[in-house]
Amino acid sequence: MLRIPVKQRLDWQQQAAEYGFQFHTMYGEPYWDESAYYQFSLQQIENDIEDPTAELHEMCLQAVEKIHADEQWLQKFRIPEQHWDLIYHSWRDEEPSLYSRLDLVYDGKSTAKLLENNADTPTSLYESGFWQWLWLEQQVDRGNLPRHADQFNSVQEKLVNRFSEIAAYYQINQMHFACCQDTDEDRGTVQYLQDCAEAAGIRSDFIFIEDIGLGDTGVFTDLKDNPITDCFKLYPWEFMLREAFGDALSEAGTHWIEPPWKALLSNKALLPLLWQMFPDHPNLLPSWFAEDTPALSTGKWIKKPLFSREGANISLIDNGEQTDLSDGPYGEEGYIVQAYQALPQFAENYTLIGSWLIDDMPAGISVREDSSMITQDLSRYLPHIIA
Amino acid sequence: MTQKRSRHIDLFKMRKGFMLKPLAVGIAGIMSSGCADDRQDAQIYTSVDDCKRDYPDAVEKCEAAYQTALDEAARTSPRFGTESDCEYEFGANQCREMNSGSGSFFMPFMAGYMVSQLLSPRPYYSQPIYTSYSPYSPFRSRWITADGYVFDGDIRKRNYKVSPSVYKPKPTVTRTVNRGGFGSSVRAKSSWGSSSRSGGWGG
Repeated sequence: MLRIPVKQRLDWQQQAAEYGFQFHTMYGEPYWDESAYYQFSLQQIENDIEDPTAELHEMCLQAVEKIHADEQWLQKFRIPEQHWDLIYHSWRDEEPSLYSRLDLVYDGKSTAKLLENNADTPTSLYESGFWQWLWLEQQVDRGNLPRHADQFNSVQEKLVNRFSEIAAYYQINQMHFACCQDTDEDRGTVQYLQDCAEAAGIRSDFIFIEDIGLGDTGVFTDLKDNPITDCFKLYPWEFMLREAFGDALSEAGTHWIEPPWKALLSNKALLPLLWQMFPDHPNLLPSWFAEDTPALSTGKWIKKPLFSREGANISLIDNGEQTDLSDGPYGEEGYIVQAYQALPQFAENYTLIGSWLIDDMPAGISVREDSSMITQDLSRYLPHIIA
Repeated sequence: MTQKRSRHIDLFKMRKGFMLKPLAVGIAGIMSSGCADDRQDAQIYTSVDDCKRDYPDAVEKCEAAYQTALDEAARTSPRFGTESDCEYEFGANQCREMNSGSGSFFMPFMAGYMVSQLLSPRPYYSQPIYTSYSPYSPFRSRWITADGYVFDGDIRKRNYKVSPSVYKPKPTVTRTVNRGGFGSSVRAKSSWGSSSRSGGWGG
């Protein structure tokens, strides 16, 4: 695993405009950064990332099974009791999942460690599935990268296939796609998924989350008063379950993607549960619920809210002393602690690997860098190759 | 060795910006003009931004209308077996190769989209519009629909009266009794002023 500077494509911004990649620069800071790339060996990709990703996902599915077997876990996960049935039914009916992103600490040498599972609303999908793919093709064509260079990235191919399976499962040829207003990044991610769905023969209609209506027959509606029967939503379940329309969810009968059972995997309570089920697993970091952690007075721990956007409300506990590393609006539902694992540094940057799953198949990686220890919104996205 | 990346991505379909690329076709299907009071105002836009300038309060409808037109273009655009046939109708470099399960074909770029009733509470309409740059085409510098209807005037004209029969009306199924029941957490969390940003709930 190396970080290698490379010539940028002179026309990449013009191409970004043509392809509709509008969030390559956010809040005045570069987000897409092709001044360098990460290089992995095929063994690193397959043995250290791909295989552990599949195994971790399998463990997560076992965790969902366990949560349903004992309601104390649903309480621990702070799932509102009125929605237990919704989640249980979506799991029992095997409602299809589309995608997830596992965030891994990996330095090219040590065993990858799971930081968290973005199982419900992962972003950076377009830049992973399409934009870095295009970068590789063009850099090879232009002679800036060797012909044999490959990339761990079958994201787009697998997304299209998965949409075909979902269409067959629900017997549909149309879906709604939704995200919040005022965010180019989320809208871009959803547009990408619409493109993939269209490639699978599914007609797509877009609606903002805030515009969703409730019809007189109890179904959700779009702005044309058409019923929303099947919907991809880039909006967290923990919000939906607690908002005004949460009460209408079970009657409405909408098929959501991600399905309700994903609320259990995107929840950070998953981390202590996994550690309890698979103690000392090489890809896991020791984790506990903050309220019943045994020994916080020694060692280094990271404290995170059960629900939060990546990077918000994080504290470091070092030999019993707590330092807040970031603030934010989260934490009312409780916290977990996870053994501190430093991100590896490449050229002074802290580097985080996002490992994609389409359904249950490992499908590729994204590499993000930050100048601080916590990867937040302003991290930069760098492409990668296998060579 | 097994390739670890997607084998093929249709770059044409991934393109979002559309330049004023020509288009259109030779078969003259004629739209019945309808009686005068049957007709509605419609506008042709060559970019989503043009539409948003006209409808700053309905930007999402502009985007949705554009998407509808793109979808429709992918489905109904004129198709040619060879690039030269396509370019003869639409002009040099105005066509793109598409691959379908049954082989490849060529189709012209969508040059714009026509919308009507964007602000109406009733369904709005949107359809792809083409034009030709070919000196051999009777549609050079004219607006034309996928099924060959040619609008009067040249491509500088953007406002028309059209018969609703040009469009496929969408069915109305339910009455909506309440809106805005999702999204409140975003407003609550966003009002907490962060250094980073307010939008976006992906992780």
